[in-house]
Amino acid sequence: MSSTSEIIVEDSPGKRVLLMGNEAIARGAIEAGVRVAASYPGTPASEILETLAAAAPKLGFYAEWSVNEKVAFEVAAGAAITGVRSITSMKNAGLNWVMDMFMTLVYGGVRGGFLIAVADDPDAHYSSNEQDTRFAAHYAEIPCLEPSDAQEAKDMARYAFELSEQIELPVFLRSVTRISHASGDVELGKIEKRDRKPVFDKHWKMPWRWDVYGPPSAVEKHRWLHGQMPKIKKIVEGLPWNRLDLHEGQSVGVIASGIGASYALDAIKLLGLEGRVAFLKIGTPTPLPEKLVEKLLKSVTNVLVVEEGEPLVELLVKALAKDANPAVKIMGRFTGDMPPVGEINIDIVAKAISKLTGKELPSDPQLEKVREEVKKLVVPRSSTLCAGCPHLGTYWALKRALSKFGGKVPIVNGDIGCYEQGGYGIAGKEYKPSFSTESVHYKIEAPYETLDTNYIMGGGIGLMQGEFRAGYGDGPLVAVAGDSTFFHACMPAVANAVVNKAKGVFLVLDNSWTAMTGHQPDPVTGVTAMGEKTKTLCIEDVARALGVEFIRVSDSFDVRATQEAIEEALKSDKFAIVVSRRVCTLQAMRLKQYTRKKMFLEKDTCTGCRLCVSLGCPAITFNTEENKAGIDPIICVGCGICAQVCPVGAIKVGE
Amino acid sequence: MTELNLIIAGVGGQGSILASHMVAMAAIREGLRARVGETFGAAMRGGAVASHVRIGKGVNAPLIPRGGADIVLAMEPLEGLRNVVSFLRKGGLLLTNTHEWLPVDVNIGRANYPSLQSIKEAVEQLGGRMIAIDGTSLAQQAGDVRTLNVVMLGALAATGKLPISTETLKQIIMENVPRKTVEMNMRAFELGFNSLK
Ligand SMILES: Cc1ncc(C[n+]2csc(CCOP(=O)(O)OP(=O)(O)O)c2C)c(N)n1
Repeated sequence: MSSTSEIIVEDSPGKRVLLMGNEAIARGAIEAGVRVAASYPGTPASEILETLAAAAPKLGFYAEWSVNEKVAFEVAAGAAITGVRSITSMKNAGLNWVMDMFMTLVYGGVRGGFLIAVADDPDAHYSSNEQDTRFAAHYAEIPCLEPSDAQEAKDMARYAFELSEQIELPVFLRSVTRISHASGDVELGKIEKRDRKPVFDKHWKMPWRWDVYGPPSAVEKHRWLHGQMPKIKKIVEGLPWNRLDLHEGQSVGVIASGIGASYALDAIKLLGLEGRVAFLKIGTPTPLPEKLVEKLLKSVTNVLVVEEGEPLVELLVKALAKDANPAVKIMGRFTGDMPPVGEINIDIVAKAISKLTGKELPSDPQLEKVREEVKKLVVPRSSTLCAGCPHLGTYWALKRALSKFGGKVPIVNGDIGCYEQGGYGIAGKEYKPSFSTESVHYKIEAPYETLDTNYIMGGGIGLMQGEFRAGYGDGPLVAVAGDSTFFHACMPAVANAVVNKAKGVFLVLDNSWTAMTGHQPDPVTGVTAMGEKTKTLCIEDVARALGVEFIRVSDSFDVRATQEAIEEALKSDKFAIVVSRRVCTLQAMRLKQYTRKKMFLEKDTCTGCRLCVSLGCPAITFNTEENKAGIDPIICVGCGICAQVCPVGAIKVGE
Repeated sequence: MTELNLIIAGVGGQGSILASHMVAMAAIREGLRARVGETFGAAMRGGAVASHVRIGKGVNAPLIPRGGADIVLAMEPLEGLRNVVSFLRKGGLLLTNTHEWLPVDVNIGRANYPSLQSIKEAVEQLGGRMIAIDGTSLAQQAGDVRTLNVVMLGALAATGKLPISTETLKQIIMENVPRKTVEMNMRAFELGFNSLK
């Protein structure tokens, strides 16, 4: 067996293996002799630290899942200040949490190589937004590397540490879903020794290097940062990932950054235009290899910029064109020649190049018509919670508890985790905009219609307090959050609710793991990233310490008890916390802490009321002809929640 | 065949991502270039999952263009159709498991699941061909429904359309499934392979 986790730590330069982009980034850091790695999970970035954490004990370095991205960033930055190599990785949204430290750390920079690897998510497959974090690197005045495939992801990650030490600044690596969660063949390099001793010198090359408040001043440190840019620009000009391919007689040029270069190359091939358009491949969207860009701008009349995210390269190229060749036409997402939002792909890029060159795309309009026709057969598959998910029990209990408030209009503030699906709606159902001037009550048909607001981690508990302060009185106020989210982002808001005397119910869905991102441990799990046993923090203890007076704890699989706890909390005149607790069933099964049982549905007893269907469990089916519910024996794990929901006792738990 | 565009589709938890990685690893072992573009998010089960595998010298991007798939291998019929509609090329093949995994949208009465016959007709209208096998039963026969992905890989190998040898693919499977399940998975592979005979 030579699984990826074994290959990752193998010192076998030249070997070609299949690596996922995130594994490739981790391997790059391993080859560079990284000493400290810290991250907080987030799709599509999680596998970077997962890979590093699996390798760390074998190679003798340190990796942790931090409580949130800000702490992770600081752990890695602190290590780099002592001169060792470190990496922090996160998803797009994670960077928002680190901005304060990020924007300030660069004033003194680092001593050991420091790589900030961020995975963006164009098309928001797994994210709340489509933000393009390359702008943050531009803003912070540090170089951004952007790989076009897994090989470059590894090579760039490895090189980032060397560059970082050369310019004494952190280096940014921007990945996207189609790099991080795509795989490709990668040729491995040599693994460097990690025998550097951590050192500390308060005035290293600059007085008060690590203290922005120390003399001379923050402004002088900003001046130093700014002064690094000419050196960086000179370096990026010669990097192998910035490449200009120019031939006589080409009037159209394509500038493609990161994954955009892969799409553009395939699109050019699809159009049969190989060698007929000038091609500038960009590996550093900021700062750009300006000389290469100028050279291209001077030799063509039209340029298409292909990049994933917002038009960063496009705008920077436009700025350069003003002096280099004002007559050249520059097109891209800014000019509307590429779609302004969403993910790009080979088809989109091919269409744009086709328009620009007049070279027609191979097409079959008749077949396209058939495609549109047969598409009608395809029905949606709404995302659901898993069979046996404890959140199903909690959401059922919440729905029942809220139903006690009759026609009132509760506001259930959502948060981020598996339970965010409580606001995904049902894909097969049409939702119409409403223009009412009064509060409107909507029936909850499935748990996927429970949540009313949802934005970012920790957001719900804060929003709830604002709704309370506004004087909202048309229904109860609730906020939900998971255990990982509680420690990441909710504790300040709980303290705020207590000292400012807010009211409302905070429902914590504690399943012991950061489930949604692939089951990483969090402060209640009792295990570290490197697999060591550790202390388990208890949410109700923390809440008590923060001054919360009304606290109830229930078992998510005990639907009645959970419902009663929520009802009591809703009636309380204090800020109330209900912890609904049960280990994530998927993880419990994996760890052999869960015994599967069989559920039986007695057809004769079933009245076809569909109450069990509205539980939202994917194992419960319904046969319209028979007007009877059913249980899919392959999907069902026997958690027993549906048996508690059935009003006529038609569902029974077996052995 | 020098280039192959393959989509492996299914429902989260059916092992389509691992199956796609195994095909790509086999290609790399035989000296080919490979790309896999996968769509999976949460650890949750039950969502639609598709993995694009591109094998060949000239491949760069990890996603197959519209109408560019030679084969759609489906662990679940509806997921097969979903990908066929946008990606299967004229003359392409849908190789699907017949066992349905009903979406909640169907269960709550908001949508109708298409019949296997209508899926077959749709594929044919698009100039493609469909082969359907009861992979789920074969996996159960092998010893565990979780071997469904390997059953389907066995069937895929039997089509003769992979630019890699069946031996290499089997070797890769043995290296990448849990040690204790190697024998069961080999049984699953053979059952899938022979089902096309
Ligand atoms: C700032 C930020 N970091 C990371 C993520 C990725 N993410 C999505 S859900 C989640 C936490 C899920 O854990 P938990 O709250 O325990 O809920 P569960 O999924 O276990 O139900 C994380 C970290 C994010 N959305 N935003």
